[in-house]
Amino acid sequence: MFIEIRNAKKQYGKDEAVVNALDGVDLSIEKGGISVILGPSGSGKSTLMNMLGGIDSLTSGEITVDGKNISKANARELTEYRRDDIGFVFQFYNLIADLTVQENIEVVAEISDSPLNINEVMEALDIEKYKKRFPRELSGGQQQRVAIARAMIKNPKLLLCDELTGALDTKTSRSVLEFVQKVNSQFGTTTVIITHNNAIADMADQVIVIRDGKIVENRKNKNKLPASGLVL
Amino acid sequence: MKLNKRYARSVRANLSFYVAASIMTMTALLAFYLFYIAGIGINSYADEFFSRNKLEDAQFTVYTPLTDEDITSLESKYDVTLEAEQSFDSENDGVTARIFKANQKIDLYEIIEGNDIKEDSDIVISAGYAKANDVSVGDKLTVSGRKFTVTGLFLRPDYLYMLKDLSDSYKNVSTFYLGAVTDSMFSSLNSGPSVTYKVIFGEDSSDTEFRRQLNEDFYLMSYVPAESNARIKMVHDQADTYISWAWMMLILLPLITVILISIVIGRKIRSEQRIIGTLSAFGYKKSALMRHYSLLAMLPGIMGGILISVLCLLIAQPYGELTLIDYEPLQAEFRLPVSAMITGMIVPTVIYMLAAMLKIRKLLKHDTVELLNNSVGKDVKTHKILTNSDKKVRFKFAVRSLIGSKGRTFVVFLGIFLGAMIVSLGLMFSDSVKGIGDAVKSSYGDLEYEYILNTIKTEAPSEGEAVVAAKFENEDSTEFTLMGIGADTQLWELGLTDGGSADLEKGWYASSLCSVVLGIEAGDEITVRSVTTLEEHSIKIEGIIDNGYNSFIVSTRERAEELTGLEHGSYTAIISDKELDIPASEVSSVLTKDTLKEQMDAMLGENNSLIYAILIIAAIICISSLFIAIGLLISENSTNISMLKILGYDNKRISRMLLDMNQVLLIPGIGLGIAAAYAALSAYKDHYAALVNAMLPVELTASQVIITTVFVCICYYGSLYFLKRKVGKVNMAESLMDNRE
Repeated sequence: MFIEIRNAKKQYGKDEAVVNALDGVDLSIEKGGISVILGPSGSGKSTLMNMLGGIDSLTSGEITVDGKNISKANARELTEYRRDDIGFVFQFYNLIADLTVQENIEVVAEISDSPLNINEVMEALDIEKYKKRFPRELSGGQQQRVAIARAMIKNPKLLLCDELTGALDTKTSRSVLEFVQKVNSQFGTTTVIITHNNAIADMADQVIVIRDGKIVENRKNKNKLPASGLVL
Repeated sequence: MKLNKRYARSVRANLSFYVAASIMTMTALLAFYLFYIAGIGINSYADEFFSRNKLEDAQFTVYTPLTDEDITSLESKYDVTLEAEQSFDSENDGVTARIFKANQKIDLYEIIEGNDIKEDSDIVISAGYAKANDVSVGDKLTVSGRKFTVTGLFLRPDYLYMLKDLSDSYKNVSTFYLGAVTDSMFSSLNSGPSVTYKVIFGEDSSDTEFRRQLNEDFYLMSYVPAESNARIKMVHDQADTYISWAWMMLILLPLITVILISIVIGRKIRSEQRIIGTLSAFGYKKSALMRHYSLLAMLPGIMGGILISVLCLLIAQPYGELTLIDYEPLQAEFRLPVSAMITGMIVPTVIYMLAAMLKIRKLLKHDTVELLNNSVGKDVKTHKILTNSDKKVRFKFAVRSLIGSKGRTFVVFLGIFLGAMIVSLGLMFSDSVKGIGDAVKSSYGDLEYEYILNTIKTEAPSEGEAVVAAKFENEDSTEFTLMGIGADTQLWELGLTDGGSADLEKGWYASSLCSVVLGIEAGDEITVRSVTTLEEHSIKIEGIIDNGYNSFIVSTRERAEELTGLEHGSYTAIISDKELDIPASEVSSVLTKDTLKEQMDAMLGENNSLIYAILIIAAIICISSLFIAIGLLISENSTNISMLKILGYDNKRISRMLLDMNQVLLIPGIGLGIAAAYAALSAYKDHYAALVNAMLPVELTASQVIITTVFVCICYYGSLYFLKRKVGKVNMAESLMDNRE
C-alpha cells in the first residue's frame, strides 16, 4: 500500500476540554488513484490531511507514506518529506500574494530536486496567459488552478487537496476537478481529496467517510465518473 | 465590554513587543533624564548655596587701597555691598594654603563637617582638599610654621571649583587648600596680606558706573565679574552642559523612539483589520474600537514611564554624585522632579494612544469588506516590481517585501540608524574630548611658556618675545584677551581658518574660539572695552586665526598699546619656547603648554562616565529597536512563513528569503547614522565652546566607523539570531486555520 495509517489518534486540549480529532483511524490507500475523504465539518478530515502532509503530528499511532514512517520523522525529515513528496491544494488557495502566478510556481520549483517543466504545467492547467499576474488579479477558479500547478510542479508522490472546490461555484468547481483528474492521469500522482461534498466521491477510486474522528466507511468505487459528469 | 477580555490575551500574544517597546521607551527617556537630573541637581543646589552664602557679583583689585570710609561711601552711592577680603598664601611641603580672614558680608564659608574656629589654634579648611588627602576633623596642620587643629571642613561659594589661580584650567585639590583662622591669629601670621575686593550689586546698581568710578578713584588693576570667574561659573556652566545634552538627547532619542514605536503600533493594528472589520460589521462604534486599541497602545508608555521612574529613584543620587567629581564635595540632592516623571509617563503614552486612534480612524474609512478581506494597506504598485526579471523568486520576494512595506522597512532602518547614530555620537564626542588636549598643544605651536607679569615693563626682555595682554570685553560684557604681538613673531601661531597666515600689520584678528564666543566673523566691526578702564574702541576683524582653545583678539603691539593706553614699548607678558629665568616676584602667573594640555585632559577626561552611559543606552536602544522591527517583520509574514514551510522550505531558507534582505539597510542606516551624529556634534560644537572655552575638534575617524559598524552589526545579527527562532515556532496547522477563518 502507498499509504498506511494505523490506530492514528490526535487529541487537542487537556483534561475535560480534550477533543479527539482522530480517534483510532486505520486506513490504507493504493498508489496512483484518486481517494476522496468525505465528512462533515469537525469530523477530523482536515486533521487527517495535516497528518498525511506532515504539517501536524499524531498523539499516537503510525502513518507510513511510500514506505516512510512520517509519524516518527523529525522536523528536518518532515521538511524534506513535504518538499520532495507532497503537493498541497487548499480551499483558500494560500498563494503568496507578493508573487506572480509564475513565481508562485517557481518558488516551489526552486527547491525541488527534479521539477517538471513549468511551461508544460502551466499549459496543462491553462494558466500560462496569467503567468505575470498576481493572485489578487485572478478569479477563484484561476487561483485554484495556480495552486494545483504549484503543487504539481515538483511532481509529488502524493497530492493532498483540502476542500479544493469549497470556495468555488459549480461550474468552476467542475473545471478544477477536471484538472485534478487530468493531472492524476497524466502524471500518475496519488491524489487525496478531502471534502464534505458527496458528489465529488463519484470521481474517486476509493471513498472514505469519516465522522467524529473515526472511519465509518471505506469502499472502492468501481463506477467512477469523469469530473465533467459530476452533479455538483 | 466583553472585548476588554482581549487585553490580557493580546498582551500575552505580543509580549516580546510590549517588553521591548517598554524597555526602549524607558531607555530613551533615561538618556534625557540622566543629564537632566545632573544638570538641575547641580543648578538648584548651587543657586541655594550661592544665595545662602552671599556669592560675590564681582571681585577686583586696585592700585590705591580702599579705606573703610571709601567702602561705606561707595556702598551708599552705588547701592552695592562691598568687602575687602584679606588673604595670604603659605607654602608647606609643596602644599599651598590660602589663609583667609573670615568675611562678614560676602563669600561666606559654610561648615559642612565639624565646627567653626573658636581658639587661635583652630583652623577650618576646604573640604575638597580634606577629602582628597584624608585630612579629618581633629587632625593637625602646619601653616606658616605653626600647628593648627582642624576643627571643621567648609565650602565657599567663590571656590566651588577649586582653582588656585583664575588663569588655571583645572582644579587643584591635591596641593592647594583654603583655610580660615581667627582674626587675631590671621594678623599675627601675616602682616601684609593681599587684598581683593568683593562686591554684590543691589537692584539699582550700575556695574559700569561703579567700575568707572573705581578706576577713576582707585585705579583698577583687575576686575572679574562672577560670570567670568571660572571658580564660580564652572558650576553653572557644567550643569548647563548637562542640561543642553539632555535636550539634545530628548530631540534625538525619545522623539525618534516614540515615532518608531508609534509606527509599529499602527502596523500591529492594521494586522488586526479583519477583527476590526468584523467588530465594525457587528455594530461596534468607532469610538469603542478607538478606546479598545488605544488602551492597548498605552501599555508601553505607562510601563516605560513606571520603569524609568523606579530606575531614577534608585540611581538618581549615586549617578548625580558622579557628575560632582569636578567640584568641592557639594551636598547636592539629585532626584527626578515629579513633574518630569509624570511628563515622561504621559507624553509617550498619549502619543502611542493617538497613534492607535489615528490608525483605527484611518482603517474605518475603508469599506468593511476591504477590512474583512485583509486588503487595506497592500501596496499593489510596488508588488509589481521585477515581474519581468529573471532573478530568483526569493530575491524578487525579498525586494518586494522591502519596498512594498515601507513602514516596516522604515522601522528596521530607524533601528539601525538610531543605534549607529548614538554609538558614533558617543565615540566621536569621546575622541573629540580626548583630542582637545593635543589640539591645545598644537595650537600653541612652538610657544611653550607664557609669563604674565605683575607689572608693566618697558625694557626689552633679554629672552623671549614681549607681548601686550589685557582683559577686554564686548558690549555684552563677554570677556576675551586683547593681545599685541610683534608682527615678526616666531612663536604665536597665526594660521587662518580659511588658509594663509594673519598679517598683523593689516589690523585685528580674532581666534576661532573668540569668534564663536563673541559671535563675530571676518569683516565685522565690533566695539570692545577694557574691563578696567571701560574705554571703548571700535575695531575691524580682518580674519579668524585657527585657535579653538584661547579666546583672543590680536594685532601688533603698537595697536594693542594704543587700545590699552600703554606707553610705546610697554608689555605685560613674555612668551618663550623655553623656560626663562624671570624673578618670581615679577610674575603673576605662568602658563605652560604641557600644563594646559594636562589640565584640559584631566578636566574633560572626567566626562567619561557620561560617555559610557551614552554607549550603554545606545546598545539597549539599538537592540530593542531592531528586536521590535525584526519581530514585526516575522509577525507580519507569519502566513507566508507557514506557507513556505508547508511547501517544504526549511527555516534557514525562509530566514534567508524573508529576513536577510534587510541587510541592505545596514549600510545606509549606519552611514546616515554616523553622518547625523557628525552633524549633531558639529552643530553642538559652538555651544560647547561657549561652555568650556574649547572648540571640539570634531573628527570622523576610521576607527569610529569600524566600531560603530561592528557594534550595530552585532546588535542586528544578535537580534536576528534570537528572532530567527520565531520562524521555527510559526505553526503551520494554526496558520492554515487562521487563513481559513
